[in-house]
Amino acid sequence: MASASFLPPRRTIPFPDRKVVTMAEAASLVPDGARVAIGGFANYQRPMAFVRELVRQRRRDLTVVGTVSGIEVDMLAGAGALKKVETSYVGLEKYGLARNIRRRNEAGTVEIVDYPEVLSFDRFRASRENLTFWPSAYLGGTDILTHNPDIKAFDCPLTGRKLYAVPPADPEVVVIHAGAADEAGNVLWPSRRLMPQELDLDTAQSAEMVIVTVEKIVSNQFVRRNPTLNMLPAYRTAAIVEAPCGAHPTPTLGRFVIDDAHMQAYVAASASDEAFDAYLDEWVRGTADHAAYLEKLGAAHVMRLQEIATI
Amino acid sequence: MSAATIPEIITIALAKSFADHEVGFTGLVTGAAAMLYGTSIPLAAMMFAKLTHAPNLTILLAGWSHNPDLASLAALPDQEFDSTLLDLPCEAQTVRYPGQFSFKRGHVDFGFSSGVQLDVTGSLNSVVIGDHARPKVRLVGPILQPEHMTIFRREYVMLPHHTARVLVEKVDYVSGVGYPGGLAGRAALGIPEGGPEWVVTPECIFDFDKEAGRIRLRSIHREERRGELAGVTGFALPDLEDAPATPEPTAEELDLLRRVVDPRGLLLGRAPEH
Repeated sequence: MASASFLPPRRTIPFPDRKVVTMAEAASLVPDGARVAIGGFANYQRPMAFVRELVRQRRRDLTVVGTVSGIEVDMLAGAGALKKVETSYVGLEKYGLARNIRRRNEAGTVEIVDYPEVLSFDRFRASRENLTFWPSAYLGGTDILTHNPDIKAFDCPLTGRKLYAVPPADPEVVVIHAGAADEAGNVLWPSRRLMPQELDLDTAQSAEMVIVTVEKIVSNQFVRRNPTLNMLPAYRTAAIVEAPCGAHPTPTLGRFVIDDAHMQAYVAASASDEAFDAYLDEWVRGTADHAAYLEKLGAAHVMRLQEIATI
Repeated sequence: MSAATIPEIITIALAKSFADHEVGFTGLVTGAAAMLYGTSIPLAAMMFAKLTHAPNLTILLAGWSHNPDLASLAALPDQEFDSTLLDLPCEAQTVRYPGQFSFKRGHVDFGFSSGVQLDVTGSLNSVVIGDHARPKVRLVGPILQPEHMTIFRREYVMLPHHTARVLVEKVDYVSGVGYPGGLAGRAALGIPEGGPEWVVTPECIFDFDKEAGRIRLRSIHREERRGELAGVTGFALPDLEDAPATPEPTAEELDLLRRVVDPRGLLLGRAPEH
């Protein structure tokens, strides 16, 4: 299908008129049926406070495009907010299978589109480079092809080699959780980081509507003292929400470790629709906002999850 | 010295199959039996190889920590990206994709993977049991299996359980491609290289007649289990009578393994005796 323009529109969903917004305002930027990418990796540094707000607002029919998915997708599935996920993995790693999405996929109410892990990263690189597909040489013989009509075989126009055109990730909205941002919307990445934090950058650069939840809003002077850590300058962000411990129960590198007890409670609650509904009633719908959620967790509990990365 | 355990027998067999200057990739698999076969045995085998015939082998732990100082650990980390691994001394940390190496240029010589089903062609499944749209059991997904079985130069499939439900005639979903139609079949699929080299289970090691595209029994760990093997395998074993024993490690090898590679039993010590 020919397109009149080759650059993506800067704004498909109206941005808020100020950068720093409430979680409720930020979540309202994600309409029902939206195609969303959620930052983090497996069960690390997921913007869970944002995900919980989507559940509170009873969002429906979301498609999540991911790489290695975990609790963020499982919670949306268990809340009835998820229509489809495109990813290479959905699970809770050492905590086992993601039981909410498993149950709903087996019942036919949530679709899972499988991609190989490296290609799931490449799909975001394709979006980042504004490519219409990513070429792959190694999909032949897999049932990934059998069940994904969006991947098309073609012959390399230069060498004749058999290749597959894999669609880009192309999320409409991206949400990530980071350490710090200023009121203008400049976002600082941690100086020591791992793959999940670096992949967040590819995720953030794959869309125009980028929402960032942060541990803390800092001054513009603080940003200016650390300009090489500003990997997402203000013109790249649409909304900033201050959400301390906002990835809970997943960890935030250098800030909080994973909440092992809460993960286990989550897994136990995922055993049935009824038990999970009770979990959501208690922890998500039963808390008015992220502040109320932290209040319910309790200061002593949250403080024990702190990590000291540097002294 | 006590007799070699099955994890020790497998470790030495694997170690001897690695060449110097190779790069070996292992994920960080969780769950006791899965971790032993998916992570601990591969790590012990690569460390043993580095101490013997392959000093320049590179260990890629969790796909990103190059030649980590495992001796400094009190326990194997159970999360790929938590601060235990961040602070584990190593020669290089891959924090970006793409980073220090390229998957697609074949920089990984061999990898280790697992799955819920493996079939006679060597194809692997970790996606669904039953129909894909309405599965009987939905599993985690293909993860890195498609890459392990194609752009890694060879693959060791590590199966912690040897049952007829795991080792099947045909997988329900191909997430990692074996040798359907043999090497010619693979070439026709556009994947002229890579593929499973061995399939390692608590009972035996399989390899492949790659021309024919068919799995075959390479060796059996315990002679007394030979008679039981057909009953726990979901495909025919025409080589059952002739398959040799997996070589027993020598006293020197066991000593090096126990005293130097794994002195605190971090890797193989938790091994459940078969």
